[in-house]
Amino acid sequence: MRVAITGGEMLTCLGDTAATLTALAKGADGSGPLRFYDTDRINVTRGYHIEDGDGGGDEPLLRTGRWLAACVRGAVRQAGIDPSVQRVSVVVGTGLRELRAVERWALDGVPVRRRDLHFDAAVREVLPEAVEVLTVSNACSAAGHALALAQDLLAAGEADAVVAAGCDAMSESMLTMMGRVVDAPTPALQPFQEGRAGVLLGEGAAAVVLQRAEDAHGTWLAELLGTGLSCDAHHETAPDVAGIVAAMRDAHERAGVRPQDVGLVLAHGTGTALNDPTEAAALGEVFAGAGTGPLVTGIKGSVGHTSGSAALMSLLVAAEALRTGSVPATAGLRTPIAEAAGLRLVTGEPAACDARVAQVNAFGFGGVNAVSVIRVDG
Amino acid sequence: MSTRSTETSTPPAGGVAVTAHCVHVPGAGDGPEAAAPAGDAAARAVLAAAEPACGPDQAHTVLGRKGLLFKEPATRLALCAVHRALGLPPGRLAEPLPGAGSTAVVVSSNLGNVQTVRDVAATMRAGSAHDVSPLNGPNASSNVIASVIAIRYGFTGPNLMVCSGATSGLDAVRLGSLLLHGGRARRVVVVGVEPDDEVAAALAGLREDPAPAGGLRAAAACLVLEPRGPGTDLLLGPVRHHARPDDHPQPAAGALRLVPPGAGGPSAVDVSAHLGDTYGALGVLQLALAASWLTVGDHPDGERRSALVTCGDAEDGYASVRLGRVRVPVPAGRA
Repeated sequence: MRVAITGGEMLTCLGDTAATLTALAKGADGSGPLRFYDTDRINVTRGYHIEDGDGGGDEPLLRTGRWLAACVRGAVRQAGIDPSVQRVSVVVGTGLRELRAVERWALDGVPVRRRDLHFDAAVREVLPEAVEVLTVSNACSAAGHALALAQDLLAAGEADAVVAAGCDAMSESMLTMMGRVVDAPTPALQPFQEGRAGVLLGEGAAAVVLQRAEDAHGTWLAELLGTGLSCDAHHETAPDVAGIVAAMRDAHERAGVRPQDVGLVLAHGTGTALNDPTEAAALGEVFAGAGTGPLVTGIKGSVGHTSGSAALMSLLVAAEALRTGSVPATAGLRTPIAEAAGLRLVTGEPAACDARVAQVNAFGFGGVNAVSVIRVDG
Repeated sequence: MSTRSTETSTPPAGGVAVTAHCVHVPGAGDGPEAAAPAGDAAARAVLAAAEPACGPDQAHTVLGRKGLLFKEPATRLALCAVHRALGLPPGRLAEPLPGAGSTAVVVSSNLGNVQTVRDVAATMRAGSAHDVSPLNGPNASSNVIASVIAIRYGFTGPNLMVCSGATSGLDAVRLGSLLLHGGRARRVVVVGVEPDDEVAAALAGLREDPAPAGGLRAAAACLVLEPRGPGTDLLLGPVRHHARPDDHPQPAAGALRLVPPGAGGPSAVDVSAHLGDTYGALGVLQLALAASWLTVGDHPDGERRSALVTCGDAEDGYASVRLGRVRVPVPAGRA
């Protein structure tokens, strides 16, 4: 069964889909001073915030759900599906849910409702007819998992269209754990960069609409060939080459492609000490013998680590790169780590690319891996 | 060089079977009188399936002592339910289970890590990030329960954490079935679990409809799902979402009816009225109880043939699923 991506929308620190794609092409860095937190105590000073139009005032409540709703609305509108006559399911991937609201409630006395923790109510604000809204909390690869489940729901005939989405805002507890493991605050997120300092959080949301090819009569953003999933079962926070390789091979098999068919990889590329060499090793292993190998780039130097929405943001960037033939450079990367010497990393300027097939990597805490493969025909 | 290969699986043409199950609700297995009043025969028959279960502080009696440091109560209860459902002897495994490479994990929990989230932020505010133990780091991520299960038993199949509110338990069952249908696993370990700590209990009460009496109850349950095979006893139907609690086809005559919190009806069993609010654990817990009810004891006339389970609430909507007994054993002397 062929699956079409017929609508897509994202919201990043760089703006909506169009603004984000334009800024990425120019190598933009969307980071800024960390807002809302005591930076001395939390030991994190920078992040990639979304401006909510709050005029620099108090932190707005339940921001994640609003970003999610805006993206779901945009994706559904672009796809032109009619939820009143079609069975539309929604799978939301998220790392931190609305745990920020739990922190504000528990520590600052700001009211919250039990139902605010997941995204049923937020999605139904813009898609009241949805058959179901499933919240899958799969850390930094959550949107990749949502994409896999969405395709499986279509394949099983359990829905006529599925919205796969991802979303996350920062949380005080996650920022604390990031500040805990560094001596000095991380100054910048630099994927695959020699001497990189670590990760910074981004925020935002993204959503795509999937339909069976025979039902997709409008413009396709891309064809979703398949998503591979695996779990390292190795360590709660450290990634593992074997698990990541397994997800990539599962993705290629499901997509019906060989490594040499893949011309572009949107890397997970978090800029941490552990992720980047592990991801580079896995790419080296999977693409060994596949000719020159794919171009590799990553967007987290521009938009931060957006956790639950990261996979879908990368996917929308990959689709645009295949469509335009221009791959944005990896912001923050000048001198790659030795482990990545064999990768064709895009640095400095955008790279020309005539590939038709791209791979999107997403790996999360707990060793949860999701790798998607898309195709765009010129 | 990694040596692991991708294991692919064949979708289950014949349906999805429940091949093992466990109810792990501390305090609920201390005799039927602990769980349901004497006058409610139906509830007593269902809750009789709850065996004695240790609390999170005693999890080492099931799991062994190693590897439990900084594991939250919900993670410990979930591990106990999995360990018992798999029929494993007490203690840590020496090697991964057979078939672990094609086993997926799907966990449902809404409140598993909210106490840790509060505590981490509070500790930082009182001092600095460096006052927090790095061993608490994994617990800040909501999927910690699912990943800890995978690590302990070596389950390298897809690993999902479902946090969908009141329907979350049956959503996990739905996604577990979907992983089998999608050929992503040959076996799926599905767990529903909630803790009863102070933060979780307070949060669980922030709702419009009345909470079940007794408040939030620490509870875990586990189902093992596999493609239907020759030895299949219990066959799982599709999970359906619906807006009203009774908006589903009528159960077959004699079927066990497990209803969502506060819903009544003739011969319906509301386990939440007896156990308390188990929220994200409920759908899995109901199915595990139904699986026991369907298979425990000698019922020569086959009166225990199916169950209809519904979880959910007015805020999140409802989800339902049927569980049917495929083979009704013919007792000796009647053949």
